[in-house]
Amino acid sequence: MQKHRTRVVCSALLAVALAALGLAGSAQAKLTGEFTKFAQCPYKNEEVRKCIDAVTESGEVILGNKKVPIEKPVTLQGGAGPVNEEEFGKFYAATNGITLSKAQQNVPGGLLGIVPDASSPALVKLLIKFFLENSLTGVNSTLELAKTASDISISESHLAGEEGIALKLPVKVHLENPFLGKNCYVGSSSSPLSWNLTTGTTSPPKPNTSISGAGGEGELLEKGRIIRIKNNKLVDNAWSAPTAAGCGGILSFLVTPIINAQLGTTTAGHNTAILKGTVMSASSFAVQTNDSENP
Amino acid sequence: MRTKATAIGTALAALAVLCALFATSASAAPAWKFEAKSLEGSEVVVGAAVESSLTIPGLTTKCENFLYKLTIKNEGGTGKGEVTELPLYNCTTDTPVCAVSKIGAEKLPWPSHLTTVSTSPYIVIEGVKVGILYSGKECALSETLVTVSGSAGGLIDNSKETATFNESTLSATGTSLKALSTKIQWNGVFPTEAFQWHREQAISVS
Repeated sequence: MQKHRTRVVCSALLAVALAALGLAGSAQAKLTGEFTKFAQCPYKNEEVRKCIDAVTESGEVILGNKKVPIEKPVTLQGGAGPVNEEEFGKFYAATNGITLSKAQQNVPGGLLGIVPDASSPALVKLLIKFFLENSLTGVNSTLELAKTASDISISESHLAGEEGIALKLPVKVHLENPFLGKNCYVGSSSSPLSWNLTTGTTSPPKPNTSISGAGGEGELLEKGRIIRIKNNKLVDNAWSAPTAAGCGGILSFLVTPIINAQLGTTTAGHNTAILKGTVMSASSFAVQTNDSENP
Repeated sequence: MRTKATAIGTALAALAVLCALFATSASAAPAWKFEAKSLEGSEVVVGAAVESSLTIPGLTTKCENFLYKLTIKNEGGTGKGEVTELPLYNCTTDTPVCAVSKIGAEKLPWPSHLTTVSTSPYIVIEGVKVGILYSGKECALSETLVTVSGSAGGLIDNSKETATFNESTLSATGTSLKALSTKIQWNGVFPTEAFQWHREQAISVS
């Protein structure tokens, strides 16, 4: 009797486990081919018209006096809503929450490049010495979304047409090193770096001069269901940035001014963003169809 | 004495170079002719493409009715003109998911001129701009205005009275068309026929 009951309980538990696995499986997209790029697109949301996957593979961000090359890929993924009269579609967050991937980019010059030993107060000098002795000199810069995904907007027409703003992206720059603490940022949700990126030509305030992006080379895949644009170049050098904040933990009052002095002037005309990469887009209906065709 | 001979030699050489340049530019500027006589004043040429397609990598668009209206004239012995109308109807694509909901020429008139490349006459159309709006729930380009722009050179066949546009004629004339910032292919054969003062007269370019 006891043995029989145990067998029944085990069978029930196994059935529950299998059902759970089955549920998990059906909740996950079964996309195929090039559609797999849109696995994190909220294509089941009826307001979403397009799925977007834009990977920045190289480029640079110049913030005042500091230039950070983009060496690790940064992905912007999610959905886009219907276009308005200005040909912009509202952005929808990626289903996994990673709308803009956080890729740590190396800041050339490291810690001494942004907190120079010579011009720092004694206490800061002492701490820098400690970090240098412990080989903790590397500084990373990570681009993060400063606002919600719905504050991003994209215009595929402008992207392809090489005129006007193609992507409005509110970001902040996270500077990372144990010495700088966890909250060293340039830009915030209330005062973001508002990038108005174009594949056309910019008209920045001086001392910056005009620079040009590029639409890249478009190609339709999956019988017209996906468009892939390679060698896309988005640029903006007319944006302004607030001063850095929260750097150095409890010594923020000492460290942050040093970093700001190193960054120099970051008002409009002193900063540049150049993002080079590949943009893929598909209609959300096409992605959903691909999903349903592959249960 | 030797100096004078050298100077004359140099002058003759310079003259020869100038003549060669002039000859090149003269041959690079053919004129419109009717019944082998140079066109005086202007004329309107109309026609419909025998076949025409436009290919963005991965998507070809064809129009059953691809008409054009071209006003031509000779200026200083060179054939010039303007594309004044380009109605496009019944356009489709080679994929079932993308339909053409709107297509139209923009910023008309488009200037044109005749030129010669390796002894063959060509017509070059500049300022080409065609807007295409695709539709289809699954089409990647739906709701995206695709603009075809650039310039296009077509080979004129005097015996058939046609102008042919394709990859090699665009390459020969150093012209190109772009859409989605990508170089695209345009294939088309356009018969040429006078519509105003020179109806039913043989049109040629030389």
